[in-house]
Amino acid sequence: MLFEMAWRNLWRQPMRTALSLLTMALAAALLVFMLSFQLGVYDTMKSNALRIFDGFARIQPPGYADDPDIRKTIADPEALAAKAEQVKGVTAAAPRATSYVILANGERSYGAAIVGVSPTRERRVSTLATTVHEGRYLKPGDSDAVVLGDALARNLKLKLGDKVTLLGSALDGTIAADSLTLVGIFHTGIGDLDRQVAEMPLGRFQQSFAMGDTANTIALVGPSLSAVNAALPRLDRLATANNLVVEDWGGLQPGLKQAITLDFSTSMLWYVSLVVVVVFIILNTLLMSVLERTREFGMLMAIGMRAPLVGRMLWLELILLALIGTVAGVILGGGLALWYGHAGIAVGAFEGLMAQWGLPGRLYPTLSATSALVGPAVIVVSVAVAGLIPMRRIRRLEPVKAMRAA
Amino acid sequence: MQPDTSESRAPGRAIVACRGLSKIYTDGAVEVRAVDGLDLDIAAGDFATLSGPSGSGKTTLQNMIGGLDRPTSGSVTVDGEDLSSLNTAHLAELRLHKIGFVFQAYNLIPVLSALENIEFVLQLLGVGAKERRARAASALADVGLAGMEGRRPSHLSGGQQQRVAVARALVARPAIVLADEPTANLDSKSADDLISLMAELNARSGTTFLIGTHDARVIARARRHIEMVDGKVTADTTGDLADVAQ
Repeated sequence: MLFEMAWRNLWRQPMRTALSLLTMALAAALLVFMLSFQLGVYDTMKSNALRIFDGFARIQPPGYADDPDIRKTIADPEALAAKAEQVKGVTAAAPRATSYVILANGERSYGAAIVGVSPTRERRVSTLATTVHEGRYLKPGDSDAVVLGDALARNLKLKLGDKVTLLGSALDGTIAADSLTLVGIFHTGIGDLDRQVAEMPLGRFQQSFAMGDTANTIALVGPSLSAVNAALPRLDRLATANNLVVEDWGGLQPGLKQAITLDFSTSMLWYVSLVVVVVFIILNTLLMSVLERTREFGMLMAIGMRAPLVGRMLWLELILLALIGTVAGVILGGGLALWYGHAGIAVGAFEGLMAQWGLPGRLYPTLSATSALVGPAVIVVSVAVAGLIPMRRIRRLEPVKAMRAA
Repeated sequence: MQPDTSESRAPGRAIVACRGLSKIYTDGAVEVRAVDGLDLDIAAGDFATLSGPSGSGKTTLQNMIGGLDRPTSGSVTVDGEDLSSLNTAHLAELRLHKIGFVFQAYNLIPVLSALENIEFVLQLLGVGAKERRARAASALADVGLAGMEGRRPSHLSGGQQQRVAVARALVARPAIVLADEPTANLDSKSADDLISLMAELNARSGTTFLIGTHDARVIARARRHIEMVDGKVTADTTGDLADVAQ
């Protein structure tokens, strides 16, 4: 009967209850939609930024992240890549060798990172091949081919078919020198890649840099970043067995991770403010209700209902209100997130800015259990905790004084 | 909480005993003795009225007997329980088990039907759903409101609401029913009917009634009349009170 009383009490002031519900539903809907949008954009940012070159995770020698020295190598990388592809959550693995070299064309020279890749494997890990807008990407059988970012090619005044001279340090300490032919120019929209990265066949790289059959890293991808993240413990075991380590996406893109963390922290302030405002509105409504019903509470205590039970009834009213409001909000916000998750939201005016993070001109919210439930759950819990204030007030009521209340 | 036994409520035995009971309110430097060193016994089966001018201490006395207010000094015993030894929670238990209240303003729970208002008390007592419903329906029939089980208070007349309040007060089989001006908000016909009902219930079940009232018709129907002035009992008359009422 307590539940029934609480439910019926809610509807004694239908307009007030409807307004309270609307407040909570809109706040919950806003939280669900904004979180879905934000997490969706983060996913897209991470996925696009990582897929273009880094991969979702990387197996590498210990210390390589801080000091990417060509002498830190992985023995028999092909076999290890094949093993990594057997791990659940990983769909492709590509060995790479990397060095920092001087690229020259006649009198022009620039520093760049040259990456030796296996073209077939690399296409499954990286989308860089799809950004080649002049010429072509590397292919099996290529020997002296190289692809460059467009800014680097422009700086070196190179065009397709030109020879590029490479000068660096080989694994054995000797000078690594080679002459390569430019077969493709890519444009990723990411400045660092377009200005500083070149790719060449892994076999030729190993010869030029005296690496034998070794590589420096193995880039990994899966059906999604979260799938690879879930596979990290298994990958870690595989890496450890080979005296290697696994770097997750945050290690591969620390700048992106920091940017996301900063953006999310700022948003959290906004979300918390929204929840606080909602809780105060509901609490104010509840305190008004308590004042109006003080006489009734006194009567309930007079006929033998204990004050804590009266308080619990009022708290139950609040919880019902919060649950109905937030469920409506989840449906509304979730529905919007699903709709825009399908249709997308055009961000034409910010397209240039978005491209820096590898984002498309249309963004898609992603509705997940986290985005659908965290915000509304925080509202319900906050309202439930705030509801303890009127409960305390009721516990202190004396029946006689309460029944004399106007 | 001591068990309710038929022996403890045997007719003539004191259900309520007040000894040296005082309640003093202070308003700044002013001290008001609402109840002043009062000694009073209410016997099981009494159908007593408590009257007196406004401010004579009737309501304060009823509140102290009902465990709603604590005395400044003296003691109140209800059905063997010394109220001064009970904490707030135990006082609530005592009110639930041993005292029925009928208020001037009916004070029914507006969101519950007539039947549910009565059931509510039984639910607080932990009575099972089936028995609860049967006892509440029987109590409602006893006050002549069979067929009105589903009506909310807002759909009942004042007299009907007060009958529901009487049924609610009686359903837990209390040691005493404390009624504070129960006819004050009723028209004369409804008031007469209510007085008759309470008198009949007292005669039939032996439930003790202490009714605070100014209403001469209620006083006329009572077997005992207690009059208070300035917090003291100035008259305590037993027997046919028709002439007192007049």
